[in-house]
Formats: sequence, C-alpha cells, structure tokens
Amino acid sequence: MTPMRAMVIDDSRAMRMILKRIVTKLNFEAVEAGDGKEALDLLHAMTEVPELALIDWNMPNMNGLEFVTHARADPRLREMTLVMVTTESEQSQIVRALAAGAHEYVIKPFTEGAMIEKLALLGLVPTGANS
Amino acid sequence: MSIEVEVNENDLAEMVEQVWESYLDPEGVSPLIPTYDENQPSEVHSSVSITGSWTGYIVYASSVQAARRAAGAFLAMEPDEVGDEDLSDVLGELANIVGGNVKAMLPPGALLSLPQVVLAPEATARFPGTERISGVYGMWEGEPVSISMWQSRGDNKEGAE
Repeated sequence: MTPMRAMVIDDSRAMRMILKRIVTKLNFEAVEAGDGKEALDLLHAMTEVPELALIDWNMPNMNGLEFVTHARADPRLREMTLVMVTTESEQSQIVRALAAGAHEYVIKPFTEGAMIEKLALLGLVPTGANS
Repeated sequence: MSIEVEVNENDLAEMVEQVWESYLDPEGVSPLIPTYDENQPSEVHSSVSITGSWTGYIVYASSVQAARRAAGAFLAMEPDEVGDEDLSDVLGELANIVGGNVKAMLPPGALLSLPQVVLAPEATARFPGTERISGVYGMWEGEPVSISMWQSRGDNKEGAE
C-alpha cells in the first residue's frame, strides 16, 4: 500500500522535526517547507499532492493563512487536508483560518497524543493510533 | 489609566507547564522548579513583541546549558551536539509559543511579531521604555530559565474609556 504523505510547513526547524517525528510514526512520508511560499513552490513541482499539510501561522514570506487561501483556490490542491498548527489561539483567528479553508486547528504547545487525536478525527489515522 | 492586563504569574506558569509537558519534559521527570528570583542570571534570550491592544514583550531567558538541553529535547539530539543555529531556532520557537498564548489572553486586536533571538544575556536595555510586570523564574535540572512579560510604559491608550 502506498504510504500517505504529509507536508510540514513551519519556519522553525525544531517544530518541523517534532511534527515530522509524529507523522512518520503514523507511517506518513514527510516533506517539509520553511514558509508558505516554499510550500507552494514544492507542491507545484510535485507530481502527487500530499494528503495532509500541517501549517504554522506566523512565518516569513508567506504566512499560514495566506498559504491556506492559495491552496484552497488551486483545484489541484483541493483534496489536501489542511491543519493549522500554531500559537494563534484566539477564537477570532481560529474562525479566520477555518473560514479560509483549514480543516482543523491545533494550538501550540501540543502533545503527540493530542496531534494524533486530531488526525484520527480527520480520518487520516485509525482511531486508537495513539494507544 | 493603564490597560488591564489579565495575564498573571499563574497564567504564565500554566503555559510553561504545558510547554514542558509537550516538548521539554514529556516524561514528567524534570519540571521547572520555581525560584521566584527575578534577578537570576541568564546567558541567552529570545523575545516576541506584541503590539496593538497591549504593547510589550514576552521574553524567554536561560543559561546556555538549559538552552542546549531544550534544543536537544526538540530535535532529539544530545545537548552537546546542538549548534548555534538550532539553539536560536528553539529559543525563538519557545518565545513564539509562550507569546502566542499570552496574546490570546489579551484584549482583541493584538499582533505578535516573529521571534528575535540574542545569544547574550537578557538585559533591560534590550527592551527600552518597558517594565517587567510578570514572570516565572525557575531552575531546570540546576540551570536557570525564566519567562517574563514586559509592558511598554506608553501602553495607556486602550481600555481607558
């Protein structure tokens, strides 16, 4: 079976490492990008679009909200599940991200278990993958 | 009349606990032990600024050894394998995480900056025109770590009516 792919988009290498460790443990193949623009460039160069993107909000060049808006406007990226992973935890920001087309929202700091539960809710990993 | 700041030491301590539980001490074996000493030394620090409904800085400061340990925990490396670039990256992310959560407790209309990292001691001169209004100070495996909140003295425009 072909493994699913996840793109981790965060300007912090440390945070990308943490997210990569989690999705790799869940049998995703992970690719990473340091900001929204780099992510879009990579996605446009890929023959197959990842099933999942984990997206920070505050990044240089192109922030996470802008990335979500671009991704939602691109028919080729429409099937990709978009999860914001960010410190922007105000209700108004969450509403903005969801309105722009994000599917889920994870607030930093998060535990590995909390992230896996979110991905299970989205049907991307089996329920109970955390146990 | 100054804007009412709704973030106190207990809120900061709760955030710090979440950061430790999530990244720095997931096994729960080496928590930050409070010292309540706002003058404890630091060798490196990172900060994010918040502007808008509240103006000031959130500052994460520690010894180099504690910063190396934090970077090692994030990157799954031994502390002595951590380079300056990784050190800066992790210090910045720690300030970003705490700053983002502080911002969520402030009145709407605040903006969070990208983090700034200085591999040198925290000094009041770095945050001119501000005063420290809150902080969590502790030792992590014998090394000093602090998270503090600095408010701009000019921050008196919102919420006055």
